[in-house]
Amino acid sequence: MRDDNQTRRLIKEAEQAMLQQYTRRHFLKDGAMGFGALALGSLLGNCWGNSGSKKLFDAANPLAARPPMFPGKAKSVIYLHMAGAPSQLELFSYKPELAKLDGLDCPPSLLEGKKFAFIRGVPKMLGPQAVFKQRGESGLWLSDNLPHLATVADDIAMLNAVTTEQFNHAPAQLLMHTGSARLGRPSIGSWVTYGMGTENNNLPGFVVLTSGGNNPDAGKSVWGSGFLPSVYQGVQCRSEGDPVLFIKDPKGMDRDLRKASIDAINKVNQEQYSEYNDPETLSRIAQYEMAYKMQISVPDVMNINDEPQYIHEMYGTQPGKTSFANNVLLARKLVEKGVRFVQLFDWGWDTHGDSAGNAVDIGLINKCRKVDRPITALLLDLKQRGLLDETLVIWGTEFGRTPMQENREGKKMPFKGRDHHAAAFNMWMAGGGIKGGTSYGVTDEIGYNIVSGKTEAYDIQATILNQLGFDHEKLTYESQGRNFRLTDLSGKVIKDILA
Amino acid sequence: MHFLSSKKLFIGVALLLGVIAYVVFHKPLEKIDYSSQVKPILNKNCIACHGGVKQKGGFSVLFREDAMANTKSGKPAIIPGSPETSEFIKRITSKDPEERMPYKHTPLSKEDIQILTQWIKEGAQWGQHWAYTEIKSEKIPDYSSSWIKNEVDQFVYQKLKQEHLSPSDEADKSTLMRRVSLDLTGLPPTQLVAKRFLADDSPKAYENLVDDLLASPSYGERWTSLWLDLARYADTKGYEKDGSRNIWKYRDWLIRAFNADKPYNEFIKEQIAGDLMPNPDDAKYIATSFNRNTMTNDEGGTDDEEFRTAAVMDRTNTTWSALMGTTFNCVQCHSHPYDPFKHDEYYKFLSFFNNSRDEDVDLEYPLLRQYNSVDSLKLNTLVDWIKTNASPEEGKKYYTFLKTWQPTINSLQGDKYINGALLGCTAGLRNLGSFRLKNVVLDQKEQLMLRYNARLNTGNVYIYLDSLKGKLIKTVALKSNQTPFWKLQTIDLPAISGTHNLYFKFHNQAIPALDETTGVRFDWFAFGTKFPGKGKPGYDDAMKSFSELMEAPVETIPVMVENNKDQFRTSHVFERGNRLVEGAVVTPDVPHILNPMPADAPKNRLGMAMWLTDEKNPLVARTMVNRLWEQLFGYGIAETLEDLGSQGIPPTHRALLDHLSWKFMHDYQWSLKKVLKEIVLSATYRQESKVTDGLLKKDPMNKFFARGPRVRLSAEQIRDQSLAVSNVLSSKMYGKSVMPYQPEGIWRSPYSGDVWKKSQGEDQFRRAVYTYWKRTAPYPSMITFDGGAREVCITRRIRTDTPLQALTTLNDSTYLVMARYFASRINEVGGVEVNQQIAKGYELMMYKPISKARLNALMELYNTSYTKFRNDAKASALMAGQLEKPDKPKAASMVMVASAMLNLDEWLNKN
Repeated sequence: MRDDNQTRRLIKEAEQAMLQQYTRRHFLKDGAMGFGALALGSLLGNCWGNSGSKKLFDAANPLAARPPMFPGKAKSVIYLHMAGAPSQLELFSYKPELAKLDGLDCPPSLLEGKKFAFIRGVPKMLGPQAVFKQRGESGLWLSDNLPHLATVADDIAMLNAVTTEQFNHAPAQLLMHTGSARLGRPSIGSWVTYGMGTENNNLPGFVVLTSGGNNPDAGKSVWGSGFLPSVYQGVQCRSEGDPVLFIKDPKGMDRDLRKASIDAINKVNQEQYSEYNDPETLSRIAQYEMAYKMQISVPDVMNINDEPQYIHEMYGTQPGKTSFANNVLLARKLVEKGVRFVQLFDWGWDTHGDSAGNAVDIGLINKCRKVDRPITALLLDLKQRGLLDETLVIWGTEFGRTPMQENREGKKMPFKGRDHHAAAFNMWMAGGGIKGGTSYGVTDEIGYNIVSGKTEAYDIQATILNQLGFDHEKLTYESQGRNFRLTDLSGKVIKDILA
Repeated sequence: MHFLSSKKLFIGVALLLGVIAYVVFHKPLEKIDYSSQVKPILNKNCIACHGGVKQKGGFSVLFREDAMANTKSGKPAIIPGSPETSEFIKRITSKDPEERMPYKHTPLSKEDIQILTQWIKEGAQWGQHWAYTEIKSEKIPDYSSSWIKNEVDQFVYQKLKQEHLSPSDEADKSTLMRRVSLDLTGLPPTQLVAKRFLADDSPKAYENLVDDLLASPSYGERWTSLWLDLARYADTKGYEKDGSRNIWKYRDWLIRAFNADKPYNEFIKEQIAGDLMPNPDDAKYIATSFNRNTMTNDEGGTDDEEFRTAAVMDRTNTTWSALMGTTFNCVQCHSHPYDPFKHDEYYKFLSFFNNSRDEDVDLEYPLLRQYNSVDSLKLNTLVDWIKTNASPEEGKKYYTFLKTWQPTINSLQGDKYINGALLGCTAGLRNLGSFRLKNVVLDQKEQLMLRYNARLNTGNVYIYLDSLKGKLIKTVALKSNQTPFWKLQTIDLPAISGTHNLYFKFHNQAIPALDETTGVRFDWFAFGTKFPGKGKPGYDDAMKSFSELMEAPVETIPVMVENNKDQFRTSHVFERGNRLVEGAVVTPDVPHILNPMPADAPKNRLGMAMWLTDEKNPLVARTMVNRLWEQLFGYGIAETLEDLGSQGIPPTHRALLDHLSWKFMHDYQWSLKKVLKEIVLSATYRQESKVTDGLLKKDPMNKFFARGPRVRLSAEQIRDQSLAVSNVLSSKMYGKSVMPYQPEGIWRSPYSGDVWKKSQGEDQFRRAVYTYWKRTAPYPSMITFDGGAREVCITRRIRTDTPLQALTTLNDSTYLVMARYFASRINEVGGVEVNQQIAKGYELMMYKPISKARLNALMELYNTSYTKFRNDAKASALMAGQLEKPDKPKAASMVMVASAMLNLDEWLNKN
């Protein structure tokens, strides 16, 4: 278009003005402290000095890509969260002893001083409702519920002894994703985009995809930005309707008209800038230009129609539907395009046994069928594209399930189900500098308590940040007089699973 | 970029050090000031290891008494008057890296060491941080300049001179009018107000405009939007299914309070403790909903005490951050790392809030029960009767009970269930099931009122004393299962003294013992005395009124009600902030470094509110004045609204902040409108916001006010002004929150049948302050333009500029609809020619003629659009939308222009 040159010039001007303002601000701030580090140095190098946090946020260009604290193994993250808490005892945690106790009353020693979400009185023990085998060269135990995943067992680092303090969905999800069981803290993806910005300015840095019919129990807070500027919150992309809210032009307006309207807006804004000289006006011009580009790039990346047939078969995707499989394929496309953090939530894993759909021997198997193939495809696909090394994949949930059968209100349940269990459950990681085929942590013979290798949400968060090149103790933001960090006051990198 | 070359820099630094050395060593020294000279050095270099959190080597510099105390070495590190013998000085000057402090960090500069040395020599006195000292009347700087219009300008002018800056001219009338109108009312001026002002050349014209705006009902709506962030107001409860909460009357209370210019001290007092004021009316109760905006957790199996405690902590933190600009959260776990607040002081303050009746129950008790007018009259008659025939105290007691159903004991306090369970917040029992109600004070309790529903129609409840095998004190025959579902029943109790556990057992002989149906569910229990005035004329009628009023249809809203003495909770310090590790018992009190409680203040929430609003409180007025300034100028005088403490960004004009705060309390008697008026009448505020390159370099963020504020509008202002200029803004005030258009699929909470049900008619076009606020899925455009989820108090919105904002105002259907109405309006009033219409549209927005360049750009858009639409009937119809238009292509083209205009930078900003 005829105005392209002018637009380009405006954007360049905007960027320069921002840069100048940015530098100026640093100079004034540091200068006042007595000619400390020269401002220019902190702009060009990384800016992880002692006083770190506030410098990261520049309102004029908050998502600019920034180097991490040290070279990280991973450049991006795909986090698959199964909301509702799938039963580790039917997937990853092989407990032959539990089979022997099936149907017996739970011994009082397991109940004393414990509080459950629904179990009342004395429940019965429930043996594993799946067949387990050792897989791959590593001999990782996986149940027959995940036949595809079994083929890539050697790419996975299994965490057997994950634990949480929360046995209700919403607070447990919040703890896992924000480091606090209460609402109000930034999520992992927000911390990461705050720390690193994003590589593709035409796409959001932190994308969220949900499936299973509901948002996770904790709502949008699990991808919220908490006290970080709201620009760092996850952007929910949808596979039905507009992929990003308001990305589509109104009906009747074609791309040329949209271009004409943005040109008109930016021309008037340029006039405004010449009168007021406010650099914020230049920033707005740049944002409108970027919005125009996003209108192409977002639907483009969210469109899976053009993927080859073998990819659809591999993932089990059906274009045009909302499904976990579609979301997983989208996640691969997004990281390929430079999106920093892709968060998936799949709802419907809360297997209490109050209906067939919620039974560990019926509904759970159906849920597994929907995720097993796409997750496996994701690992294979990333690998064949050479992306697995730089993409950290996490499979997780908010807590585990009891080795006892649920007896809601003290009644026998119509189907086989398990109650919420916070003390011990499984998660796994792959890619992004994780050592495949490893297994970390041990639980007791019935999967009730942890024996060794205790892993908390904070440790998982610390490990994610570490793989991206951040010391989780130093990635901080000052709010309400305190330097907050994702891992609160805890967290240690799980070194045993690192390559 | 032409910064100093490193060589020049070196010479510069050397010279500077030389000058400092000269000044330090040769000039008679002025006494060192702790707050401005010493504290910053300690905060930066020492306090991380020797402060409120860590005290390495047994040494802390947070409080003087700690710094003077013996360290681990057995002697004090600071000897007042004797720097030579002070270990503190030895360590910071040591050459041995193992000895030298700060350990493994850059050594202190010579001048810092000199300051600390001299400070110890002068006796090492700790001073008070400015924000914690009483607000004094400031001396007004005496400058004469034709620019200066009022006292605000004197302070600003002084600073400008110091910074070698000069003020800007006054903004043109149109720009200033739009700015002040958006600032004071959140809306552009109405055409009437605008016309009057623009035509008025008298010296009082601007002041008259300001008075008009302050008197407009829109004023209250605009400032309520701000307060809702602080009050963490939402229409839902927060966790998991995030169900609805009926609390919008609190929002209406705020609008009325702001419009009535309720003095800020009263405004706060009623919100903190309206229920404890003498004879509280509904409005005073509703004011206390401020603190019922905390979240409640209905999720099955959650520990209600955990979330009750979380709410109490939230109230404590909100009081400090919203009302006192102080970060108190960190004192939950340890003494404040930088500021002089001690760990136990957090819990002393928390205990002011720890005795309210709310317990995280899903029915949100206690609720204010609002009767219809007939029943309200009945209530007054009844209370009068009790006052006359029993006593005024009894009258008051019954009034409170009927209005709040308090004091009652929630089933939540039951335990030891056999064949039963806590279901939500009700106690459910199956046949032969039982539970225990703990620690019931039975002294002078003549009767028990229970609220329950008997699902099996019949059955008895047996009440045993102290154990299931204990004395049977009462058998209650349950009422049938007819409407109303929930029954109230009052039974007489035998005289029993002392505190006892009561066991409630349900039995229905008609059904098998093992039946699994829940037979009865209890809601609450009220132990009390018999209805008073027996034998007095009208007794039967009064009794009847009482029963009817207990079950009358009411509207409810969660409010604060205090525990009575039977239910008193003891408060403890939580060790390291963990509520499960209780430390010392504490009683309500305020931190020792601030003003003491007023002599006549009781040690409860009301007393605390009196302390907050005492003129000696150093924080409350400063925090609010700073916030008002931020709303007008984009940044506070102290930028960190949430932290005026020693770690906050220091104020640029401390004396001005104090001066306005003093006037706010004394001259203006806490009137917000008067402070706002003083600020907006200043020459400082009225300046034009154009900026030169030179000024931009010297003062990029406009901290010295050499120009007027140019700030992007808030989410609410952007929506409201676009509705206004499109001529569809509803003027309807108050009422239930509304649901304007929102795309499908925003609400997807689990276990919740709640849906976004689009409001009808003018409710589509209400001001943003009335939009339904769901915490886990807030209204998209509010969030995109920097609103928060309001899970906790939001002390400041941080402005960002993102492409998602552009997409919202370009493509959100709400904005498209507005663009259509706007296009239609300018088509009607703008004359015949397209360029006239566009010019008129611009005038409606900006109140001034359009420039040629702007008109050209917009005309070009019109022409491009028309070329396209002229040959595309379908696209024209889609774009022109619902409105009847003879010429769809023209209408569609004007919608394109109108939409672009609603996206202009000058429209999204106040200029």
